[in-house]
Amino acid sequence: MKPLHKYLIKRVLAYVATLYGAVTAIFFLFRLIPGNPIEAFIGQIMATQYTEAELARSLVEQYKKEFGLEGDLFTQYVNYLKQLLRGNFGVSLLGFPRPAQVLILQSLPWTIGLLGLSAVISWTLGVVLGAFTAWKRESKIGGALAGLAIVFSQIPYYIVAVLLVLTFSYMLGWLPARGAYDPRLSPSLSIQFIASVVVHGTLPALSLVLTQAFGWFLSTRYLTISLLGEDFLIYAEAKGIKPSRLFKRYLFRNILLPQVTGLGISLGFMIGGQIVMETIFAYPGIGYLFSRALGMLDYNLISGILILQSFVVLTANLILDLIYPLIDPRVRYYE
Amino acid sequence: MNSMLKSSVSIARALKGIIRIIGKNNKIKIGFCIFLALLIVGFASPYINRLRIGDKRPHDLGVGRRWEQPSIKFPLGTDDYGRDIFGMLLVGIMYSLSIGLLAGAIATLIAVTMGFISGYKGGFVDHTLRTFTDTLLVIPLWPIYMAIATYIPKLPLESVALLLGIFSWPGAARVIRAQVLSLKERAFVKLAKLNMLNDLEIVFLELLPNIAPYIIIGFINSVMGAIFAETGLRLIGIGPPLLPTLGYLLSITIGVGMLSVRPYVVAAVVGVLALIFISLNLINIGLEEEFNPRLKKVTGL
Repeated sequence: MKPLHKYLIKRVLAYVATLYGAVTAIFFLFRLIPGNPIEAFIGQIMATQYTEAELARSLVEQYKKEFGLEGDLFTQYVNYLKQLLRGNFGVSLLGFPRPAQVLILQSLPWTIGLLGLSAVISWTLGVVLGAFTAWKRESKIGGALAGLAIVFSQIPYYIVAVLLVLTFSYMLGWLPARGAYDPRLSPSLSIQFIASVVVHGTLPALSLVLTQAFGWFLSTRYLTISLLGEDFLIYAEAKGIKPSRLFKRYLFRNILLPQVTGLGISLGFMIGGQIVMETIFAYPGIGYLFSRALGMLDYNLISGILILQSFVVLTANLILDLIYPLIDPRVRYYE
Repeated sequence: MNSMLKSSVSIARALKGIIRIIGKNNKIKIGFCIFLALLIVGFASPYINRLRIGDKRPHDLGVGRRWEQPSIKFPLGTDDYGRDIFGMLLVGIMYSLSIGLLAGAIATLIAVTMGFISGYKGGFVDHTLRTFTDTLLVIPLWPIYMAIATYIPKLPLESVALLLGIFSWPGAARVIRAQVLSLKERAFVKLAKLNMLNDLEIVFLELLPNIAPYIIIGFINSVMGAIFAETGLRLIGIGPPLLPTLGYLLSITIGVGMLSVRPYVVAAVVGVLALIFISLNLINIGLEEEFNPRLKKVTGL
């Protein structure tokens, strides 16, 4: 067998094993929490609609079947895995009788739109500025920005969010502090609606970009400065290669490898939503959905969101490992 | 006996080196002074508050009248329930820092143990521990914290710290493992092996002093991570209601409408939180610069 094939098989097997481990851990972790949401749910229905004990008992059986809570824990686990392979996360309690994946799919665009856009903007800003200001060592701007970055990059984004809300919503009254769009408008592709989405997304996005961009800036600057002393750069410079080419072909490509990895991982983690951020702004994304699901102990929805997130993070890692050679030709699979 | 003496000598040497570095690097100096000031104010808060408001605790209802304006007795005024906000801010520093430091210590202990075993033993042990660490790294932590906090509502401070610590070691463990891997092939470790030192002696005498900086950086990262998580959770109303941390204070000041009525109160709480993170981060960046001199010229500060 070729070393490349061997590597690929090993990597994919490890991926499947980790994914299976994560699914199993998530399934059992939340089933072991005490509390019986179905009983509470049925009690609620009985109090309002049914009174006959016979009917109630059959209803309990019916619901247990529907929510995948039949038999002992192991049977439930096997059934859950079977359903999962068909892409079914099970009925949700929060959005009964809709299945969990439908609720997740409704929230996903908001999270991806807000967090994805902020992540890409902050990455681009941070990496380009970080590399360029480190390259132009004599300029004072780089040092000043780095000083700011040290102060800002580790301040939690939610603190920045509170400060922004304080300033722009309460003191100046320029931007809305809650929601994803004006509730008087119905979702459509009209200019009015899109404008409302942009206005509502500005503060949450700004608080993410402010903290994340500085983080990327700092790590890129560190990377660049530690590369600047390398022999291959001095040699290339001595050979008379133009500075712009030196920057683009010799320096920037070396910086891209670790930074692209970082971006991939942060995009993967994005799927779980920023729970605190979305709750502060009452933004209808995955994080907000999760905190509501948790309040109702909606097993299927909770597990569904977590499994989706683990799946995306692991898959992002896998894809990154597979495309490394395209970004960095020095990487060989079989080494 | 001899090895104990040697290990205490090498630890003392490492400590001396660290103290020297604190004095040398400006970032570490500034960060350290701010953090020390916060620590002192926080842990003196019970005494300060006793002088200010007597035997009442600042978060008791009706310490003052409702919505009292800022005064010498209540520098940040009181809220909707007559709670003393300045007193709560001082106590909050103590609680938040305690949780952070305790959780950081727990996480570091686990990380060091795991990192050393994994890196030093290698082979099957390393493989198993690494798979475990990697799995823990991809499991989203916030949901787990939220689930636990929702279903065990009355956790004492130690348990909160333990929980945060137990889940936040994998990052540091990875770094330590990588360091152990590179160090154990060096000549001085080989020499120690030829001198018939056993594994424990090599770990404590030869490896630990060399990895100390990474352990300290890992510790500070864990402290920041724990305070970050605790504050965030409390901000959205999750967590034990009896722990008056800074996150709790922030959530109640926003909850009673301080954002519109007295924005400076929210700004004060946010400012103290920011100081905690800035000071710790300054220390970390300073340490990294000292141990990786290439990075020294990164900032213009």
